[in-house]
Amino acid sequence: MKRASWALFAGLALFFLAPLALLLWQARDPGLRWTDVWLAPESVQALAGTLVTSLGAALFAFTVAVPLALLIARTTLPFRGVFQAIFTLPAALPPFILGMGWVSLANPRAGLLNLLLGPGTFDIYGRLGISFVLGSAGLPLVFLPTLAALSRIDSSLEEAARISGATPLRTLFAVPLPLALPAALSGTALCFLFAASAFGVPYLLGVTASPPTPTLTTRIYGEILMGQGGLPRAVVLSLELLVLAAGVLVASRALARRGQVRLSSGKGVSVRPMELGRWKWPLTAAATGTALVLVVLPLLAVALTSVQPVWGQLTGLSAKHWSAVLSNPRTIDATLRSLLLAASAATLVTLIGLGIALTRRRSLELLAGAPYAIPGTVLALALLIAYSRDVRFVAFERVTFVLALGNSLWMLLVAYTVKHLAFGARNAADGLAQVDSSLNEAARLSGAGPGRAFFDATLPQLRATLTAAFVVTFLTCVTELTLSVLLIPTGRDVLGTLLFELQSYADPGSAAVIACAFVLLVVLLQFVQSIFAPKEAR
Amino acid sequence: MASVQLEAVHKTYGSTHVVRGISLEVASGEFIALLGPSGCGKTTTLRMIAGLEALDAGTIRIDGQEVDGASGRVPPERRKLGMVFQSYAVWPHKSVAQNIAYPLLLQRVAGSEIARRVKEALDWVRLGPFGDRMPSQLSGGQLQRVAIARALVGNPRVLLLDEPLSNLDAALREELRGEIAALRARLGTTMIFVTHDQHEALALADRVAVMNQGVIEQIDAPQRIYQSPQTAFVAGFVGGANRLEGRVAQGRFVCGGVEFTLPPGLTAADGPAILAVRPEALELGGVGPSLPLLARLFLGSATEYRLQLGDTVLRAVGPTLDVKPGASISLGLKAAHLYPG
Repeated sequence: MKRASWALFAGLALFFLAPLALLLWQARDPGLRWTDVWLAPESVQALAGTLVTSLGAALFAFTVAVPLALLIARTTLPFRGVFQAIFTLPAALPPFILGMGWVSLANPRAGLLNLLLGPGTFDIYGRLGISFVLGSAGLPLVFLPTLAALSRIDSSLEEAARISGATPLRTLFAVPLPLALPAALSGTALCFLFAASAFGVPYLLGVTASPPTPTLTTRIYGEILMGQGGLPRAVVLSLELLVLAAGVLVASRALARRGQVRLSSGKGVSVRPMELGRWKWPLTAAATGTALVLVVLPLLAVALTSVQPVWGQLTGLSAKHWSAVLSNPRTIDATLRSLLLAASAATLVTLIGLGIALTRRRSLELLAGAPYAIPGTVLALALLIAYSRDVRFVAFERVTFVLALGNSLWMLLVAYTVKHLAFGARNAADGLAQVDSSLNEAARLSGAGPGRAFFDATLPQLRATLTAAFVVTFLTCVTELTLSVLLIPTGRDVLGTLLFELQSYADPGSAAVIACAFVLLVVLLQFVQSIFAPKEAR
Repeated sequence: MASVQLEAVHKTYGSTHVVRGISLEVASGEFIALLGPSGCGKTTTLRMIAGLEALDAGTIRIDGQEVDGASGRVPPERRKLGMVFQSYAVWPHKSVAQNIAYPLLLQRVAGSEIARRVKEALDWVRLGPFGDRMPSQLSGGQLQRVAIARALVGNPRVLLLDEPLSNLDAALREELRGEIAALRARLGTTMIFVTHDQHEALALADRVAVMNQGVIEQIDAPQRIYQSPQTAFVAGFVGGANRLEGRVAQGRFVCGGVEFTLPPGLTAADGPAILAVRPEALELGGVGPSLPLLARLFLGSATEYRLQLGDTVLRAVGPTLDVKPGASISLGLKAAHLYPG
């Protein structure tokens, strides 16, 4: 076990700690004053862009998600299951696809809404649009933890308030809301971090806006594209993003911890949902409207765009984009490459995550979770700096092995795996914590050695959580954009970069086809996962 | 069937010394209960016999063969034991029959033989028609029967039971207690049973080892444990005796400002002492001090009286009397035990 922990630690040091250290080292360029970079007008504008859009997205997600969670967890709102599924869906979709949907809907000239209501009614470009799209994409980050916290509150707490003389509405504000608030606030902080790290949506809705609306991530991307001259500035700017991320994470942890003490463990909690009375149908209508606007409408717009012969004109339906995309060797190559990379990364994440959880070393678990919190742009930049040239490992004056990741797909595999290791480690650790150790001990007493007992008794109990880790990693990687645009070998594509390129420069219709195919894949995989989930939860 | 020997076994977790030099001889075919409050080290002792915990000092032998001690440790899978866990530990992904077949599979028993022995084990625990069920379809009592069948099917040298009945409701507990006694009579396996329930221990075991704070306070046949507890702790834990700290003076026990006349046959030298007296051994209205009644609890077959004695509350059990809280009742000692104070 000890040797395994050291091997895992060495891997994380090589592919995460060392690149990050190199990034910081690179920032010590004597010819470059940090303050000059930070105080340049474009940088100030980019920082302002990041802060404003992230704050906007977080506030929007909080305002929408908390009432929804209250309605779904604590009242007799009809179709609660359907609403829960719809508002969870953005978690499985790349935000870029929602952004594409809104470009199709609310491009000031050619958006479908503007074609219907007159040009210029809606404009999705700029800070407001970015906040809105990132807020809807980050909604599950607030919605899911709030919902979980709310469903752990026993109804007797509310009933005690009613008996003490509080009206139903007042009860809602007096009991479940304050109890779930820490979870909601910590989710909101994570939503802020998610928005500040986002690259695809700010690029799509910010760079071509007039006037252009830069954020830190799109500025860093621009500097890297400028090559050798831009790289040091990119490094210095990424430090800003890193500090921001660290600050938000600390805040989120502190908020989440405040909530932990007060809620019961979830066992034996009885929830008797509150009757809505005459508010039932108005509130159902409001929830339906929210679901339509935030999730259903943009996805429908993407589907519609994929069958429109000419983008921005409502002129009949056509399958030409579909047949073009499906017969284009470039698309097929990119799809196969993405599927292979995502499946490999998901396998590695699941296995390494399980290994890390099995060592039961808190330090290793924390380290494995760290890359996920680092904005993708920064992580990609660190890997680029560390491994764009071959690294030779020298021992006893001889080269023992050469790490040649630069300009190869291996670099992407490393990046995907390191970034999403948190999914594997977290899921495996949670799964292991739920397995009663006596299951394993009973196998030992039956005559099984440690390895055999693990495979026969413990591993089968982890099937659901490990499948979940695999599926989540696979879905995230298959259209991954932020790491891919910076690390993809020249002349090759993966789905994310292809989607990005088609949507940004050439052919939104074809991009919409790929996006539709991906949404179908998500639905399919969620179905597969539900088969693997434990049949009877006890 | 095998004997088990523990010699001066110690176990520490960090700074807490959980097991402090336990020595125990279990004869082949004997049924021993380890009885004590939670945290007394009884489960740790059982887990060391199973091989699930390593001991820090001492020796454990099974059938004369050292399994843990100075010359190394035999892992649990090679000790040929069976164990029943408090949480049942029935594998939720295997059917009842697969659960029971597992130890035989690892012993490389032939397929047809496995089927026969699984069926036999299912009959032992009266689960004959349940072989194809999944654990999620069974009740707690049925799950614990599966666990017992699984622990016994491989002909273990010793059967270890870790509070096997404490997760069951009262009626099931009673039923399963009877079945364990019947199985034991039929199979004659050596059994070590851990429990915090004195009734279970006294009813089932050939000998009971009462444990407290990591040591065995007394090991004896159930009747002797009950009738002549050797320490104040054993008297208090088994039989629920009142514990009074005071002093003996000229055939009397002085405590909390009152005096009791010691019952005939109980003598002790003058000096500080601890008196243990069971609730039913206090004579209500007998010759002795009058004490104020705090509360009266009707128990069905008898009534319990709570009386104030100094700063302790005395429990007495007897027939239902027409007294109200606030009144005084005189108490005499019918029987008691004295321990050095």
